Amino acid sequence: MKIKFAFAAIAGAVLFAACSDDDAVQPNKYVPLGKYDSGVLVLNQGGFGHDDASMSYISFDFSKLENDIFSLANPEVVLGDTAQDICFYGPYAYVVLNGSNKIEIVNRYTLKTVGTIDTGLSNPRYMAVYNGKGYVTNWGDGVDTTDDYVAVINLATRSITANIPVIEGPERILEYNGKLYVAQTGGYGYGNKISVIKTSDNSVTTITVGDVPNAMQIKDGYLWVSYGGKPSFATSETSGGLVQINTNTNAVNHTYPYSGTTTHPSNLVIDGEFAYYTIDSGVYKFALGAASLPTTPAFSTTDQGVYGVYSFAVKQGHIYVGDAVDYVNNGKVHVYSLGTGLGQAPLGTLENSYTVGVIPAGFYFNF
Amino acid sequence: MTAKKPITILILLVCQYILAQHDSIVPLREVTVSDALLRKFSQTQSVAVLNDSVIAKNAASLTALLNYNAPIYFKENGLGMVSSPSFRGTTAQQTAVIWNGININSQLNGLTDFNTITTGNFDAILVRAGGGSAIYGSSAIGGSVHLGNVLRFNDQFSNALRVNYGSFNTLGVDYNLRASNEKVSAQLGLSRNSSENDYEYLDTNGKHNENGQFYNTSVNADFGVKLNNSNYIKFYTQLFEGERHFSGTIASKSKSKYQDLNTRNLLEWNSFLGKFTSKVKVAFLSERYKYFENAKTELFERSTAETVIGKYDLSYAIDTKITANLIVDYTQTKGFGQQIGENVRSIGAASFLWRHDALRWFGYEISLRKETTSNYESPFLFAVGARFNVLKSYSVLVNASRNFRIPTFNDLYWQGLGNAHLKPESSYQLEIGQRYQRKNTWASATLYYIDISDMIQWAPDENSGNWTPSNVAEVQSYGAEFSVGWTKKIGQHTIDWKTNYGYTISEDKALKQQLIYVPVNKSTTNVAYAYRKFTASYQYLFVGQVYTPSQKFHTVKSYQVSNLGIDYDFGKVNTYRIGLLASNFLNENYQSVLQRPMPGRNYTIRLTLKF
Repeated sequence: MKIKFAFAAIAGAVLFAACSDDDAVQPNKYVPLGKYDSGVLVLNQGGFGHDDASMSYISFDFSKLENDIFSLANPEVVLGDTAQDICFYGPYAYVVLNGSNKIEIVNRYTLKTVGTIDTGLSNPRYMAVYNGKGYVTNWGDGVDTTDDYVAVINLATRSITANIPVIEGPERILEYNGKLYVAQTGGYGYGNKISVIKTSDNSVTTITVGDVPNAMQIKDGYLWVSYGGKPSFATSETSGGLVQINTNTNAVNHTYPYSGTTTHPSNLVIDGEFAYYTIDSGVYKFALGAASLPTTPAFSTTDQGVYGVYSFAVKQGHIYVGDAVDYVNNGKVHVYSLGTGLGQAPLGTLENSYTVGVIPAGFYFNF
Repeated sequence: MTAKKPITILILLVCQYILAQHDSIVPLREVTVSDALLRKFSQTQSVAVLNDSVIAKNAASLTALLNYNAPIYFKENGLGMVSSPSFRGTTAQQTAVIWNGININSQLNGLTDFNTITTGNFDAILVRAGGGSAIYGSSAIGGSVHLGNVLRFNDQFSNALRVNYGSFNTLGVDYNLRASNEKVSAQLGLSRNSSENDYEYLDTNGKHNENGQFYNTSVNADFGVKLNNSNYIKFYTQLFEGERHFSGTIASKSKSKYQDLNTRNLLEWNSFLGKFTSKVKVAFLSERYKYFENAKTELFERSTAETVIGKYDLSYAIDTKITANLIVDYTQTKGFGQQIGENVRSIGAASFLWRHDALRWFGYEISLRKETTSNYESPFLFAVGARFNVLKSYSVLVNASRNFRIPTFNDLYWQGLGNAHLKPESSYQLEIGQRYQRKNTWASATLYYIDISDMIQWAPDENSGNWTPSNVAEVQSYGAEFSVGWTKKIGQHTIDWKTNYGYTISEDKALKQQLIYVPVNKSTTNVAYAYRKFTASYQYLFVGQVYTPSQKFHTVKSYQVSNLGIDYDFGKVNTYRIGLLASNFLNENYQSVLQRPMPGRNYTIRLTLKF
């Protein structure tokens, strides 16, 4: 609903400026709801076991970078260990901390902490929200292949009300039409399924896709999944690809595989009529409806020293790339032109670079 | 230092002190101590001896003992948790731990966790600073720590029992039995340590060290038989079994636990044939860990390594001034586990050691060693040293050596990520030391420089992005160690004072920055005052700021810890000592490792009975 308001504000800025000069009302003037409104929150995983997960803020006009914003807002609180995901709901951001087995709840615009959920989570990974409930994927114990679950959180009471058992290694989670789609990357092993949970009765079915499904998007009633294939250090390496699934029937509508065994796509994002994803340091652009996946990248990030895109987002005509560098030192965020806007530089033109915290793991657009 | 234990007279002090007793002591030590090379070929390096009375005054773990009595820095993941050393600025895998002459560093990860060694099992613990690979093999780059048992052939029957109980429900029991006569010598040691370890994290609104409880049990049995005047058979065996729950950090609770089971066995036959001393040794070592990600479940990951060592050591005393040793040894290790598969490594080696006390004021020693194995090319290892006894009370020691650290089973074979093409890390080292020794006072100062190449580091691979080890880093480490001691006895009053200070620069040559978890400054002081049967002792530890890998917190701040103990001996003939120890009595809030607080003020009652 806030998105609508932002749009209204922009639209209003044009319309009202044109047909009204009534200063008394000024509905065109957008008042930020906090210091960290109108920008992207970058979640920095931090070093495993270091308790140094952090967040950074980059304003939408790219003029402002602020690092370690959680600590600035809450000097007495340690955010935690190995941040994994952020989920927005209402005025809150739910920060999932894998290593700390907790969710830190903060005001999404001020970053002031308002609460913690620290019981009932075991290796929490990603979170989705539907109908006043939070759904958090949990690996359970990494070595236990049968204790994985999706925790259901009553967001009003901030307590876990149910656990939905799923197969090993539930990772990203996405809600569409009252159903939850869970990418089963496989935890310490390699999964090849999407779990579908009906929120009405918490029943679970699965769809077999390719090895290691790593990202999901919804487009025109279809679920699109990028799967990475098994990595080079697995006993048998496999290539990945994209899969298109009919959400009404749960049937695979189309598979777009890469040939060979060494091509590992990830980070699927659909923007408009195009799918964007990454392979190593390359960013790929795929026109939905085309017969097969491109074999050469739309552009490469190697000029920025990126040898594996760690996190990725496409928003408002920009591509955001998170570079974990050596996983030890502070990471980088590079912003590239999407090349679709009027008068915008061509696709892949570097627009801005920032040094953020250790291992930038995700981008969350706050407006 | 008690005269009862000849080993404890060891090198601590100065060379001529030992030289003066050369003839009478050497044969005795050859008989009683398994690691005779340590004394014979360490006259140009500094060796500090911690005898059983020092061991008894400190907490039961090797970490606690050395942290307060040696220049070695320890990185401890909370009290009793994994503890790894940095000796002269080197890494945890670059300090060798030697048990009765046998290198016991883990074959799986290359290091010894100093919280898995219970000090009560040993008669003496020696700290040998500087390179020692030419004698002790892998890992003796920064230095080596020697755990020794003594078997004497005299009439003796004695018992010693120590019981400690203190804060956090911490219990330590240590029992030692010795029985020997002219023909047979036996020793039995049993230790048990346990703790709830649920200490409060200071200044955190009452957070505690949750899931930090631990226990360990160790058994030590040594047995020797004198077949005749020139033939001895000896058997040493040790077992350590422990379980630690791994505590978490300030912001993150932990639920894991870790179990260790280590056994060490050594059988040796010593023959003294005129100028020849022949030693045949066979050792069997095993190490096994189980890691439970969730302590409440029975699911775990495990790895095991089993090592068999055969060694032949022939020593020839050409005359009273020259000793030569030829050693050949063969080591075969089998490692197996979920992550490392099953692999066998065999290493054959030959060493030649030479010591020449050429003049009363001058002596030198040379050690050479070459190993061969199928996995990698081993460098030629050496140590060359000289001593100059410039004055009766002042001497200068010089030593140069080449040392190495071999890749571990984890480095080589970790499933899909290990790198079978790793080379050993290797180092060149130069040191110069000075000693001053008078009746009540001694002092030493040592300067060293270590150049380490082919350091093995786990990092993402440039091409695949996979986390994998490679021989990338070049490190130089240099610094100074100072040590002073003073003892004074006035009537029934005795004062004993000892201070160590280490200054360490250890930097990655490419990054030009101090390595993480290596403090530039570390200092320890021990002061004891005794009046008749009353003793008061004070310990002080200063550890300077260290860098951490965290880009957010950057450093762990420096800390100072003080311990105060008082003891009174009620015994007339036997020892019945009771004492109270206040550890960290100034209640310093400190961390050894980032976000892992150590305990504040805590107390221990201790009881020692010898009969």
